[in-house]
Amino acid sequence: MKTLTIALKDLSRSFRSFFALAFMFGVPVLTTLLFAFLFGGVGSGENAEFTIPTTAVIVVNQDTGSPTIPGFDLEGETYSSLGAVLAGTLQEDNLSELMSVSLHAEIETAKAAVDAKDAGLAVIIPPDFTEAATGLTDQEAIITFYQDPELSLGPQIVQSIVMSIVDGFSSTSLSLTAINSVLAVNDIRLSQEEQISLVQDLSRAAQSQTDPGDSLTLLSPASAGGDSEESLLSMILRSVMAGMMIFYAFFTGTTSAQMILQEEEDGTLQRMFITPTRTRTILNGKILAGFLTVVVQVTVLLVFANLVFGINWGPFLYLVPFTIGLVALSGAFGLFIMSLVKNTKQAGVIYGGVLTFSGMLGISSVFTVGTPAEAAFKIIPLVVPQGWAMKSIEAAWSGNLSQSLLFAGGMLVWAVVLFFIGNTRFNKRFA
Amino acid sequence: MAEQAIKVQKLDKHFEGVHAVNDVSFEIHQGEIFSLLGPNGAGKTTTINMISGLLSPDAGQVWLMGYSVEDNPRAAKAELGVVPQDIALYEDISARANLNFWGKMYGLRGQALSERVNAVLGLIGLEDRDTGPVEKFSGGMKRRLNVGVALLHEPQVIIMDEPTVGIDPQSRRQILDSVKQLRAQGVTILYTTHYMEEAQELSDRIAIMDHGEIIALGTHNELIEIVGELDRISLSISGDSQKAKQAWKKLNGVEEVTSDDGILHLLVTDSNRILPGVFEAAAAVGVHITSVDIREPNLEAVFLHLTGRALRD
Repeated sequence: MKTLTIALKDLSRSFRSFFALAFMFGVPVLTTLLFAFLFGGVGSGENAEFTIPTTAVIVVNQDTGSPTIPGFDLEGETYSSLGAVLAGTLQEDNLSELMSVSLHAEIETAKAAVDAKDAGLAVIIPPDFTEAATGLTDQEAIITFYQDPELSLGPQIVQSIVMSIVDGFSSTSLSLTAINSVLAVNDIRLSQEEQISLVQDLSRAAQSQTDPGDSLTLLSPASAGGDSEESLLSMILRSVMAGMMIFYAFFTGTTSAQMILQEEEDGTLQRMFITPTRTRTILNGKILAGFLTVVVQVTVLLVFANLVFGINWGPFLYLVPFTIGLVALSGAFGLFIMSLVKNTKQAGVIYGGVLTFSGMLGISSVFTVGTPAEAAFKIIPLVVPQGWAMKSIEAAWSGNLSQSLLFAGGMLVWAVVLFFIGNTRFNKRFA
Repeated sequence: MAEQAIKVQKLDKHFEGVHAVNDVSFEIHQGEIFSLLGPNGAGKTTTINMISGLLSPDAGQVWLMGYSVEDNPRAAKAELGVVPQDIALYEDISARANLNFWGKMYGLRGQALSERVNAVLGLIGLEDRDTGPVEKFSGGMKRRLNVGVALLHEPQVIIMDEPTVGIDPQSRRQILDSVKQLRAQGVTILYTTHYMEEAQELSDRIAIMDHGEIIALGTHNELIEIVGELDRISLSISGDSQKAKQAWKKLNGVEEVTSDDGILHLLVTDSNRILPGVFEAAAAVGVHITSVDIREPNLEAVFLHLTGRALRD
């Protein structure tokens, strides 16, 4: 009974503190709101979309084709060169949301347009592009990009699409070389007409395989239909919200444990020890307060994120192991870390150093998606408790119950170890 | 029922090489106000921390209402209310919320808790200020609430550790009156202070502590007898203090001459009779007296007599 009395008193004091409320709810929600505004999903009504700005692209096609190849037939149209194929592909309707393409004859006028910010990117195709790309000569052909330095996302997407198409052309050259080598072994030589026909077929095949319209699908909240498809914005917000929730749940657990030190300095802890109450009961009350505070914080954030941001956390039951694990682990982590320091002044170092570093490392997978470090940061965060929490919630919303349970189990192991050390140290200290 | 409310036997405590409490023993009878008087650092707080079970003694034992604090701490603590020296309250919540919480810590619940909270609020004069956060209170109001918390469960024994430090005269008077009121109700009070007047006004018996030891113990009159009911003349002088001391020691009726921080103290049998001779003797050795303070025997004089130092040093 006294344990609960102490816990409820601490809980009510925590929720009276503006500082605690800001850390528990304000910062995670504001951070997610910030991301929502950055990606344009909030405040735009039902038709809100995550949009990439359309990039104005100028193509300067200097490719003269090959005297030996009369043309390339593609989807009912005949192109005189691979440069023309590239320019034509970029002008297809399915890329019109990403780029508006215009053709220029002169390199200088194209660059001037980019300099004048009339275009975001100029793509300059060299004269011998077809010869080089088909492997009919040993020459190199380099496509030049001339970009507005103030733009990043749009031009980079266009460059990626161009490179994807060019990679397809390069496969033509490699395939032709390989075929000729195999035939030569069998003492078979293709005539020039046969070689040209083969190049045209390979180019067509490569082009169809690398159609950026097939490989690129942009989803937005408005276009994501059905229950199974999820918008990109929603996925981003879910990851950010989960990361922030975990990051600040550990702050809450630590702040609650810090109240033991704070009460020791205020003299109220000693006053409790003078009452006819066991030391263990008093400490249990304070520990329970930490757990209850995180329960409230996590529950409110999960529900809030679902109602306001439309974040789908996955099946409710899958979320239970994560929530239990997070509450146990953040509370135990706080108790452990505070048992190592002597007073609240030293606790400042914990907030500035240990919690911030371990927290950022633990949720680093949120910010390394799509970077070269992505693979590494699927493993590295597991060296800190926050990393296990992140893994558990990711598994929960992916519908992978066994993995969610596995990581929640890992969190509980962490929690038991940290709780044992912290609780033992505090009991010894106040014995 | 135990005759002694508090029994302390050969208490000893060291802190990192400092002998904070040295072989302290005393007994406090039920319904008695017992004061521990001594300068800061004398060992008063360490002693009461061991009595209240907050500190474990290196040696010795304490009984509260017959319960051993070491062997039966919960029963002993249930009989005890403690007013700590520093204010120990939750300042972000109200006086009523504080009292409710501390009442529950002493096992009060429901109607009994509500009645005791209201009674204590009345006793400490805060019934009109029970809802606002304590952080808005004056120092005196906080002190009174600090006292009130210790009274909630109607303990048989109350320890008050310098409860009037740094407060306004009105709050001080209210606390002293509430102590007398408690005594009238038969409550035993262990009161620590370095204010001699408080000990003198309140106490049935007084123990004087210095350097962790009890150097004198008895009623006010018994302690005064230690200095032989002598008057104390304190003098500031200009000139050779050694010559003055030697001259005054020769005077008939002067029992003792000491010096303390530039002030010379004379213990005399009758200050009115001897004072002219003191001036004459000083003048004879070329010493000029710049101020004179005459005091009849009190606890300050006792402490000075026993330690050679003033109580507030």
